[in-house]
Amino acid sequence: MKRKCQDYESRLPDNTAMKQQQLPAFRLQLSANEILSGFFAIGLFCLGMGIILLLSAKSIREVEINYTAKCATCAKLREDATNFDKECNCSISFYLPQKMEGNVYLYYKLYGFYQNLYRYILSRSNIQLVGTDVKDVRNCAPFKTSDNGLPIAPCGAIANSMFNDTIVLLYNFNSSTHIRVPMVRTETAWWTDKYVKFQNPTFQNLSSAFAGTAKPPNWPKPVYELDEKDPGNNGFVNDDFIVWMRTAAFPNFKKLYRRLHRIGNFTEGLPAGSYSFIINYNFPVGRFQGQKAVVLSTLTWSGGSSLFLALAYLVTGAVTLLASFSMMAVHLKLKERKTFFLQ
Amino acid sequence: MGWRQSLQGADVPMARTIYLNEPLRNTFCKNSISTAKYSMWSFLPRYLYLQFSKTANAFFLFITILQQIPEVSPTGKYTTLVPLLVILVISGVKEIVEDYKRHMADKLVNSKNTIVLRQNAWQVIPWKEVNVGDIVKATNGQFLPADMVLISSSEPQATCFVATSNLDGETNLKIRQALSETATMKTEKQLSSLSGKIKCEEPNFHFNSFMGTLYLKEKSPISIGPDQVLLRGTQLKNTEWILGVVVYTGFETKFMQNAVKSPLKRSKVEKVTNMQILVLFLLLLVMSLVSCVGAIYWKDRYRAEPWYLGKKDYHSFGFDLLVFIILYHNLIPISLLVTLEIVKYIQALFINWDEDMHFKGNNVYAMARTSNLNEELGQVEYLFSDKTGTLTCNIMTFKKCSIAGIMYGDLPSKSDDGAKDLSQSPCFISDAYEFNDPALLQNFKNDHPTKEYIKEFLTLLCVCHTVVPEREGNNISYQASSPDEAALVKGAKKLGFVFTARMPNSVTIEAMGEELTFEILNVLEFSSNRKRMSIIVRTPEGQLRLYCKGADSVIYERLSEKSLFVEETLVHLENFAREGLRTLCVAYIDLTEIEYKQWLVMYKKASRAVRDRIQSLEDCYDSIEKKFLLLGATAIEDRLQARVPETITSLLKANIKIWVLTGDKQETAINIAYSCKLLSGQMPRIQLNTNSLEATQQVINQNCQDLGALLGKENDLALIIDGKTLKHALHVEVRKCFLNLALSCRTVLCCRLSPLQKAEIVDVVKKQVKAITLAIGDGANDVGMIQTAHVGVGISGNEGMLATNNSDYAIAQFSYLEKLLLVHGAWNYFRVTKCILYCFYKNVVLYIIELWFAIVNGFSGQIIFERWCISLYNVIFTSLPPFTLGIFERCCSQESLLRYPQLYRISQTGDIFNIKVLWIQCINAVVHSFILFWLPAKMLEHDVVLQSGYTTDYLFLGNFVYTYVVVTVCLKAGLETMSWNKFTHLAIWGSIMIWLGFFAVYSSLWPTIPVAPEMTGQGNMALVCPHFWLGFFIVPIVCLIQNVAWKSIRNTCHRTLLEEVREMESSGVQVLRRDSSQRSKVEEVNLQRSVSPRPCQVVFRNNSVDLGAPHGYAFSQVERAVISQEELVRSYDTTKSKPQRTFSATFE
Repeated sequence: MKRKCQDYESRLPDNTAMKQQQLPAFRLQLSANEILSGFFAIGLFCLGMGIILLLSAKSIREVEINYTAKCATCAKLREDATNFDKECNCSISFYLPQKMEGNVYLYYKLYGFYQNLYRYILSRSNIQLVGTDVKDVRNCAPFKTSDNGLPIAPCGAIANSMFNDTIVLLYNFNSSTHIRVPMVRTETAWWTDKYVKFQNPTFQNLSSAFAGTAKPPNWPKPVYELDEKDPGNNGFVNDDFIVWMRTAAFPNFKKLYRRLHRIGNFTEGLPAGSYSFIINYNFPVGRFQGQKAVVLSTLTWSGGSSLFLALAYLVTGAVTLLASFSMMAVHLKLKERKTFFLQ
Repeated sequence: MGWRQSLQGADVPMARTIYLNEPLRNTFCKNSISTAKYSMWSFLPRYLYLQFSKTANAFFLFITILQQIPEVSPTGKYTTLVPLLVILVISGVKEIVEDYKRHMADKLVNSKNTIVLRQNAWQVIPWKEVNVGDIVKATNGQFLPADMVLISSSEPQATCFVATSNLDGETNLKIRQALSETATMKTEKQLSSLSGKIKCEEPNFHFNSFMGTLYLKEKSPISIGPDQVLLRGTQLKNTEWILGVVVYTGFETKFMQNAVKSPLKRSKVEKVTNMQILVLFLLLLVMSLVSCVGAIYWKDRYRAEPWYLGKKDYHSFGFDLLVFIILYHNLIPISLLVTLEIVKYIQALFINWDEDMHFKGNNVYAMARTSNLNEELGQVEYLFSDKTGTLTCNIMTFKKCSIAGIMYGDLPSKSDDGAKDLSQSPCFISDAYEFNDPALLQNFKNDHPTKEYIKEFLTLLCVCHTVVPEREGNNISYQASSPDEAALVKGAKKLGFVFTARMPNSVTIEAMGEELTFEILNVLEFSSNRKRMSIIVRTPEGQLRLYCKGADSVIYERLSEKSLFVEETLVHLENFAREGLRTLCVAYIDLTEIEYKQWLVMYKKASRAVRDRIQSLEDCYDSIEKKFLLLGATAIEDRLQARVPETITSLLKANIKIWVLTGDKQETAINIAYSCKLLSGQMPRIQLNTNSLEATQQVINQNCQDLGALLGKENDLALIIDGKTLKHALHVEVRKCFLNLALSCRTVLCCRLSPLQKAEIVDVVKKQVKAITLAIGDGANDVGMIQTAHVGVGISGNEGMLATNNSDYAIAQFSYLEKLLLVHGAWNYFRVTKCILYCFYKNVVLYIIELWFAIVNGFSGQIIFERWCISLYNVIFTSLPPFTLGIFERCCSQESLLRYPQLYRISQTGDIFNIKVLWIQCINAVVHSFILFWLPAKMLEHDVVLQSGYTTDYLFLGNFVYTYVVVTVCLKAGLETMSWNKFTHLAIWGSIMIWLGFFAVYSSLWPTIPVAPEMTGQGNMALVCPHFWLGFFIVPIVCLIQNVAWKSIRNTCHRTLLEEVREMESSGVQVLRRDSSQRSKVEEVNLQRSVSPRPCQVVFRNNSVDLGAPHGYAFSQVERAVISQEELVRSYDTTKSKPQRTFSATFE
């Protein structure tokens, strides 16, 4: 109960600015001029930036072809899951009025596919995919094991629902000559995915590495037959697989499918002319009222064609400028008060 | 309320038997005490219990348990557990540190030494080993280790003096007297042969009661009362040594029984915050329900879950609800409580460290004993102050006098100079403060016509009193039970009239070197009825003379017609009273032998009277105290503490209403009110002194009617009420009227209050007015009100520690209240409220985003961020800005706050933190979260943002959003911060850098360290993505520019006082030096704004109102003690020397 004097002596403070709360401090207190010029600067910068972004977005060539309706017969066939073994091809022609210069990327796009569902995202095994334990299927419910009890590799809902249409682009040189546009099927995934996150189990033979596992129920063939020509693109490190495994944020999303191999006629990019897509239609979208599309696009420094960021900058710039004009009006009206704006 | 219980009596059975000199038969509790909260073993269970009894912590525990259910948690199993553990560990460390201090303090007390009779010899042992039945020897100045019964003492008549200021706050010494049967037992031999027993009541908390019986062998039982009992915590004074038998030890002592734990006080801000946390919890439930409904709708739209999910949905509504509760649970700021705890702890340290509140006199710093109430200091509206020891130093000095119509000692300029130099140590006597007027002695030496009067006056001061001198070498010090008398005798000594010795029947003085002996015939004692004391002496010349000193009213009505200077003295008295000095009139009358003899017969008869002896004695005294010849008047200063009037003025300007609650007499209270400028000369005083409920009701109603329309407004009136009347005034029926009347007065003085009444009046104001109250006091009699008020402040540094120990803040001087409230209070209020608002803001911003994301992911419960990023949000990435806001924020400099007390009203009214402000902040947060999610979402919607055409995933969006949230939230803290110091910079820029760094590192851990596989590569990709940096610029700007614009426009159109002051500070106008005479525009504005006391135009039609000049009479003296003053002074013979006596004078 008794606090003694010794107690006080022991806490003699050294008299510092910190302890006496006298630390030098900068006042966040801006004058009208500073605020207004700040607003003007921000407004102008945003406008300028917006224009640059707008111009660069305009320079992008992009072609999107929705083939859900165009391949109606195939779509109908896939409505019924029992027809999984029946092949269905579909060809879509289109005309490219202007050439697409530079690197051209081929995407597939899905509408209404929710890759961002909680239980969908959960349903994968990163330990399995990194190759350390191919039989680890812990979080993969409901695609953990096959009917005969073997662990599925790659397990989980994401892998099971992998996009499996094949898309081939033909360049119709003339009515009789159709050149298959050369496409690169690798380097479509992030470097870290390809070389860190996804690794095949270390075995001399890939198929033996996956021995004792089952293929995902929806897949026509096991994971070690994804790309039998290129061992660097087979198994878990298959680029198409890796790209699919990176689950999109929105129900409508694009995924990188192929890159233009710039050789021969296509050194400059895609020349203008008539093209057609040959699509091997496997992926059922009708069952979730979804749609599929293919997208051909070039890129600029800021990525693909999106006007949104440009618009955001333009609108912000304009609004800020407007605000600063109105604030200036208020300020001039009350000028005799020698106003300080902020705090 | 412990205090209340302690005041209400209860019958206690006689149940304790203590056997003398038979230690084995006395088994009672130990004398060691422990005030610590935890012991080594009880720490963990008790601490956890305390923590989880807090709603918020219990909630997070509940969430943690929920997360352990498989698949229910979208954020993993440990993401709430870890932050919760971090928080528990932090506050656990704080508890341990605080408890360690308590253990150390206990150890210090327990290991103090005392002397005890063991095995027939005196042994020195520590306090904790003292047992019941031990015979303890205590020497002068020592604190007593336990409650004991006095056996004998070194003093005549086996008396001793104890200072009880520790217990009851009374500063006069108490006399205790041993039973005559034991008074002779002084040697070891006598004591060890003592055998018998003491029977007494069970331990209880009544200071002033004790019932016991002493059974000595072969003697009849003797009863023991409170006059024989010495209590733990009291200090032996003016007594060489005492011997006592210990009856209660340790926790059973009355001191410890009274040491109730202070009630847990919560601040208003804290209550509002807790309420808001509850509301947020409701919001959480609503959001979860909405999401569940959304999920049902979504599933309905797709008829079932899509094929790619596999099996059909088997989760119930309840399961979904749990998922969403876990998903959104962080809406409730987990770190808020611990952040506030730490912030307030540091704020308390700032109070402890403050050099401006360091009293160098006895090296005492201010001490924040609790940190719960820091922000409450900024909201005080009613200040209840004790008087003695709080406003005053409790030091009396003879300041002025009026002799034969001439005033002496009125030298204002000189004392002013002195005051400045000594402002740091006003409570130490220095010559500058004492009577110091050379004119008096000059008049005396130069044979001024009034020389004889001066001589008679000073002689009277030397003779007419009950002071006992103590000679130590050449120094004479005086001990008196009346501080006024001590002051007068000391004053006379300084003027050459030295009171040197007291013998049973005479006193000796040295008048200008001439030794005179006055034979004391009778002492006509003081009582508060009589308001005077007289002494009948035979002068050295053989003349019989009666000297009298007393109140002007009683002296004047007894003056003889021949008396001179009546008018002049009256004017002087009025002057003295106006300054708040305590005045006494002094007069004398020469008696004839016949007259005296006649009176003596009467006196003897009266003193033998069986019935109404006191009354008949007073009548007898009255018969001889007449036909006085006036000599003059004395003025004693009850010295105020330094800067009390200035502090009071400043607090009044800050719109704090000050009520003085004192146990002291009405006259004294009024005196002090004048001297500290609470009362001014022309202020009408409503005095309520009645005896019955009806009369009280009637006079209060009458006053209320007279006030009419002014009732309820602040008038330049003073209300003075005494304890008896207050008892009626606080009666249920009258209470409301009384309160209305009291609130209409600028000043309220309540006198003669019991401690309980002090607490009661605080309670009434607290409950009825719903304002924040602060009580300040120094003694045990203030404990009740200190505990009752929202904030209790104790004056520390004096010997009495009870008030300090029950207070929330302890300061050494009343004047430090100014800085404590106006600076620390206002700052802390700003800091705490900003910190809370900000914590709410940042949590709402981040977690509402989950709701926006739920809209695009079919209400599936998926989180958009990586799970550990979410739980580290409050612990790391945005944990620093709340601290800098809470610790370093300064609305304006302390000079300005002290210079413009009006600024206090900002925090006082609480306009910057209430439910409305909180919800505006939350809505702002929702808007920000909307922008923060949808802008990046739209930016990334087309998926192709990376240069090599790569596509992205949901977490890529999540990391964009998260980064923008961290940036926005940190910059928002910067926007809220009014003064940026280096820590602010560190916190704001540091937090952003920490996140970016963490982002980069965390993205490359998998699979080397098995965490966060989904983050792999995110850092590398995002940090080189042009969109990331484009958004980094635009998103926070879009969020914050509206806040900046809004603030700017508001400040332009409607500037508050605070902004004006800040503007003035930063514009470099150095009018802020406190002594600057130049007034700025702002100051003029402020002056207009402050309530200028209007003269009161009320016409009072009742006689309770005193419009006249103040009276200054005040005198304090112990009344009706164990032995009368006369008996006491007659027991001394100071001409005989006492061996090895070390005396400390009482009032020095």
